[in-house]
Amino acid sequence: MQKEIIDYIEENKEKHYRIAYSYVKNQEDALDIIQDTIVKALKYESSLKNREYLGTWFCRILINTCKTHLNKKNKVIYLNEMEDTPMPTFDQDQHLDIEEAMKHLAPHEQEVILLRFYQGLELQEVADVTEKNISTVKSTLYRTMKKLKKLLEG
Amino acid sequence: MKNSNEQIESQIKEYMEQIEIPDTLDECVKKSIEIGKLKNKRVINMTRWMRNMTTSVAVLGLAFVGTANLSPTFAKSMSEIPVLSGLVKVVTFGQYDYADENYEANIKAPLIDGMKNEALQAHLNQKYLQENKKLYEAFKTEIAGMKELGKEGHLGTEAGFEIKTDNGEVLSIARYVENTAASASTQVYYDTIDKKNEVLITLPSLFKDGQYVEVISEYIKNEMKKEMKEDENKVYWVEDSEEGVEGFKQIGNEQSFYINENGKLVIAFEEYEVAPGYMGNVEFEIPTEVIQESLVSNAYIK
Repeated sequence: MQKEIIDYIEENKEKHYRIAYSYVKNQEDALDIIQDTIVKALKYESSLKNREYLGTWFCRILINTCKTHLNKKNKVIYLNEMEDTPMPTFDQDQHLDIEEAMKHLAPHEQEVILLRFYQGLELQEVADVTEKNISTVKSTLYRTMKKLKKLLEG
Repeated sequence: MKNSNEQIESQIKEYMEQIEIPDTLDECVKKSIEIGKLKNKRVINMTRWMRNMTTSVAVLGLAFVGTANLSPTFAKSMSEIPVLSGLVKVVTFGQYDYADENYEANIKAPLIDGMKNEALQAHLNQKYLQENKKLYEAFKTEIAGMKELGKEGHLGTEAGFEIKTDNGEVLSIARYVENTAASASTQVYYDTIDKKNEVLITLPSLFKDGQYVEVISEYIKNEMKKEMKEDENKVYWVEDSEEGVEGFKQIGNEQSFYINENGKLVIAFEEYEVAPGYMGNVEFEIPTEVIQESLVSNAYIK
């Protein structure tokens, strides 16, 4: 099992780094997260009961490490993470590029979007990683896509 | 329709792909895998080693471990050390040194001297010596491997020791091993000796029964939570769910420990054992009142 985990880590390191980076927005912290995630995964490899879930299992450790890192570093505390961010107000004809648009998403919205479309996880897997139920994930994804569309189109 | 779902999806991918990958990522991943493997092995090996250790400590009183198979250099250095009879002490003993442009090793072993219980003294000294020999050999193998790959990199191994406590009753020695490559990792091992009776103190030997495991673990868990609450930079893996991996449950029967200058029991954890890497080697001083009821006596712990 250890070899499979290591192969998986090597194959996906860039993807994982980018996900970590998207949380912390700086190289040093992202590398720290990568290190902690890998060490944790290998140390507790026995908690992975079924190799089929390797991807979701690893992502969960990664995402949780990112969140713990952010919580400890950030002075900002989201009172209710589940609350959707309001639509920003701007001129009617103004539209944003994707980078700007992403900034307008709440952390849990960004998370779902990235896990689904960048990490390529299935909805059920996203639900497993984020420890939410699938219908919550579905509706978050649906609403967030709508929101992104609006932001991009102005 | 300019922004269909598919278009947004591909924009998201593009947005992520433009996050630059640092050159150091490869090395960071490799190093982390190494540390992870080591930690994993250590979890398994430590328990096995601890089991053996308990048996060997039990027979130690009877067995005489000779010094005959120690290296000549060791024997020579021994004779150069002035011996103060009847005084248990630790003398520095530089053992392996290696340095060139990229690689550096500095491995020192503590050498206990002046014990009447020669069996115990020889046992400990020999253990230290052999561990260091292994370290040095591992270091050499690693250098050879790196040279073979034509890789330039910094590699360092530093091992040494620190006297945590040396008073009338006990001598606590901490030995550390620091490996430096892309990032550093440190391992620390402790031995505590009863200077009067000249025996190695084990954690279970301090207590009347096995209850101490629970008592100490509960104290540490509360302490971890308290520290995290007070200082947001501190992280301990104390909860199960948070990381998707098992959190700290309880200490081992033979958890690393030493007795500090104030006669307090200090429980030590390895790097990554209960906290992320940046927290280092974590220690908890256990207030004596917490364990008072379980203690055999207050001879060592005040």
